[in-house]
Amino acid sequence: MYMKLQLEKFGKTLISRELGREAFKAFQSTLRDFPKNEELEMDFSGVLTLSPSWADEFLTPLLSQLNNRLVLLKSDNLSVGATIKILQEANKETFRVK
Amino acid sequence: MEEKLLTIGQAAEYLGVSLNTLRRWDENGKLVAIKKGGGTHRYYRENDLEIFASDLMKFASEWIQDGIEFPGTFYCPTSSIFNARLTKMQDILIRKPGFEELYSLIVLITGEIGDNSFAHNLGKWPDTAGIFFGYDLEKRIIVLADRGLGVLATLRQARPKLSNHVEAVKVAFTEFVSGRAPEKRGNGLKLVREVVADRPIDLFFTSGDAEVRMKGQDKVFRVTRGQRVVRGCLAKIEF
Repeated sequence: MYMKLQLEKFGKTLISRELGREAFKAFQSTLRDFPKNEELEMDFSGVLTLSPSWADEFLTPLLSQLNNRLVLLKSDNLSVGATIKILQEANKETFRVK
Repeated sequence: MEEKLLTIGQAAEYLGVSLNTLRRWDENGKLVAIKKGGGTHRYYRENDLEIFASDLMKFASEWIQDGIEFPGTFYCPTSSIFNARLTKMQDILIRKPGFEELYSLIVLITGEIGDNSFAHNLGKWPDTAGIFFGYDLEKRIIVLADRGLGVLATLRQARPKLSNHVEAVKVAFTEFVSGRAPEKRGNGLKLVREVVADRPIDLFFTSGDAEVRMKGQDKVFRVTRGQRVVRGCLAKIEF
């Protein structure tokens, strides 16, 4: 069982630290009802630019909350790839990618 | 055919400055107006205004150095205005032939450098809040600048032992610095360095007297000490 999150719903240009923080807060209400045995699939399609600042405020704390229940769907967007790579290096943690 | 002249009001709107600024610029020779038949009214050629507004590096460096006013179209007083203008730039860049994929990395670099200025200076701006953000996608150049605290003063909050600008800028671009909770520190500049090293993008970055130049074929990351000391940060991205 899994739930899919279209990251695009937070915007197509995900740049600032401030907005990443707001997105994380907003998403907490959805996450409250999220069954403990389900995975969360993160879909990047439709996102034009993802920056490490935004992602560090959203994906980093989400990974701490969900651990291996967080799954990132592969994206061919260059900024998504580069951002995921640097977050993994900075946090010394690996995201599950599918 | 006679070229159409803009009134001072139209020119002020075009450049995003006040009428008084245009009058002052005319008097001190920075942007000289045309006066028809010995009259006192000021007029401007659109072409002259376009050329005047194209010198992005000059505006940005004069502003952070001496606080000299620049056309308001380049000013982003808040992070949300910067985001809106960055999105507009992205819309144009994405349609530019050859940039269908690379656009997202150029927007990422621009976004990180600009967002850093806001994130690190929020509530601490020494005088003017906000940033200079200008671009010319035909000439493939983007310029960002702020009159904030600069990299050294900002990083010292997490690394009190940093002694000079060169050392601070080096740390900012190469190390993962964790700040005291709840203040988060970016990894953005590390990624900026990696992307610039791998892609056909050149970067000039300066803060204090530290300068980073990553240009041409063989891009080695090096921080050098420049001749002048600038306030805040100034970045030029070319592609």
